[in-house]
Amino acid sequence: MFLTPPDAPHKPHRPEPAALLEIADLTKDFGGFRAVDGVSFSIRAGEIVGLLGANGAGKSTTVHMLLGFILPSAGRIRLFGLDPLHHREAVMTRVNFMSPYVGFPMRLSVFENLLVYAKLYAVPNARAKIGDLLDLFDIADVANKRYAQLSSGEATRVGLCKAFLNDPDFLILDEPLASLDPRAAVHVKQLLVERQRQRGLTVLLTSHNMFHVEEICRRVIFLDRGRVVADGSPLDVTRTMLSSARTVPALREIFLSMSGRKARESA
Amino acid sequence: MKAHRIGAVVLRQAYEARHNLDRVTDALYWPVIDVLLWGFMSLYISRQMSVGPHIASYLLGMAILWALFRSFQRDIAVAFLSDVWSRNLIGLFSTPLSIQEYVAGLVLINLLKAVAGMLVAGLVAWACYSFDIFPALPALLPHLGILVLFAVAVGIFITGLIFRFSTRIQSLTWSITGLIMPFSCVFYPVGTLPAAIRPLAFALPTTYAFEGMRAVLAGAPIRYAYLALGYVLSACYLAGAAFAFARLFMAARASGLLVKIE
Repeated sequence: MFLTPPDAPHKPHRPEPAALLEIADLTKDFGGFRAVDGVSFSIRAGEIVGLLGANGAGKSTTVHMLLGFILPSAGRIRLFGLDPLHHREAVMTRVNFMSPYVGFPMRLSVFENLLVYAKLYAVPNARAKIGDLLDLFDIADVANKRYAQLSSGEATRVGLCKAFLNDPDFLILDEPLASLDPRAAVHVKQLLVERQRQRGLTVLLTSHNMFHVEEICRRVIFLDRGRVVADGSPLDVTRTMLSSARTVPALREIFLSMSGRKARESA
Repeated sequence: MKAHRIGAVVLRQAYEARHNLDRVTDALYWPVIDVLLWGFMSLYISRQMSVGPHIASYLLGMAILWALFRSFQRDIAVAFLSDVWSRNLIGLFSTPLSIQEYVAGLVLINLLKAVAGMLVAGLVAWACYSFDIFPALPALLPHLGILVLFAVAVGIFITGLIFRFSTRIQSLTWSITGLIMPFSCVFYPVGTLPAAIRPLAFALPTTYAFEGMRAVLAGAPIRYAYLALGYVLSACYLAGAAFAFARLFMAARASGLLVKIE
């Protein structure tokens, strides 16, 4: 089953500045190594954007700076028109982040873990909300299992439950479909598109699976060696980077060509 | 700071305690072992040597109070480490939770655990050695405040070091109190130490707390000067630790270590 890339949202969730996320000249140096080099882009409310690039391209560092885990060396970030470093509470209440590389306490049950996060986000009717999300992601049967006992696919779905707990306006997803079987992956993709259409959810997604990206993102941003090298619709980016004669997106080809070049240069 | 987020940190740690036997062991087992050990030691000393009747009070009382300090400091850092070990830290800090709320939650839940451990140790001392620490508690409480403040200072300083230098220095969590103990004069008066070491002892708030508590258990009035000095020193250490923690946390964010800590 293939999804139609989403259109502009029907009903914006709440009024927003023209750009929900604005990044200008964002730079991060680790000692003598420049991981992110003057990255600038903005995302409008209701967009689903893929942030792509080979390993070491600067995707994770950019996302971590958005979330305040890493302090930028230079540049500016505005989320909902605010500096997230100085308005952390106002910003992070409306954001959620999911990554398969972020864990949960192993000894706590799935329900307990989600309840802790629900309290952090002050979710009203938290127990009912958790029950709904467990049903939505088809893991109600593991609610009382310890997190350590879950399969990797179940653990990914728990991460997705956490990501939707606070009904975020902006969702940052790092490899959200990792370890999911094809049926679950389709379900998650449908859900993202649905939420975007119905509630104006904005998503920034990183993934190495270009087929998934082509299905759900109307716009992609390619990073290479810390710089934005392409920004546009999957087809526009394909035409710019491969050939103007292309009629279908070929993000995987672009990705392979970029990562192959990087490997050759490293050798 | 928002109470519901501090409550969430407390809830997360309470769930951990419910499922993790290690946490119960740390909170109750070691204080009880300390009391049993020092109880037998005090019995032996009082039978073999011509010492006053207060020896059991000194040793048992100090063992109970030292256990409170040690477990409180250690458990703050262990609670933090458990979030590091489970790779939960990034998840927590991607929410509106602030670092101040996180630390406040850790301090609150571990203070409750340390007090529970002290009460159990006190009951064991009463049941096994007829040593009743509870009537002296009102007079001991002001001194306990010094221990609590200093334990928070040490706990958050260690936590800050782990943020900055990762888990390779996590053994400090368990070993730091061992370093502080000999100079804190827990089981002996400060006059027992060689003169050259006494300035070091007087630089530690724990010394004033234990000197003062020994006096209380011997039936002497509270030594307010010691109490005041203990609080002033504890406040200084706490302010220094909070400053160091803030700098270490910022350094971890600047260097990218916060997302790599494991």
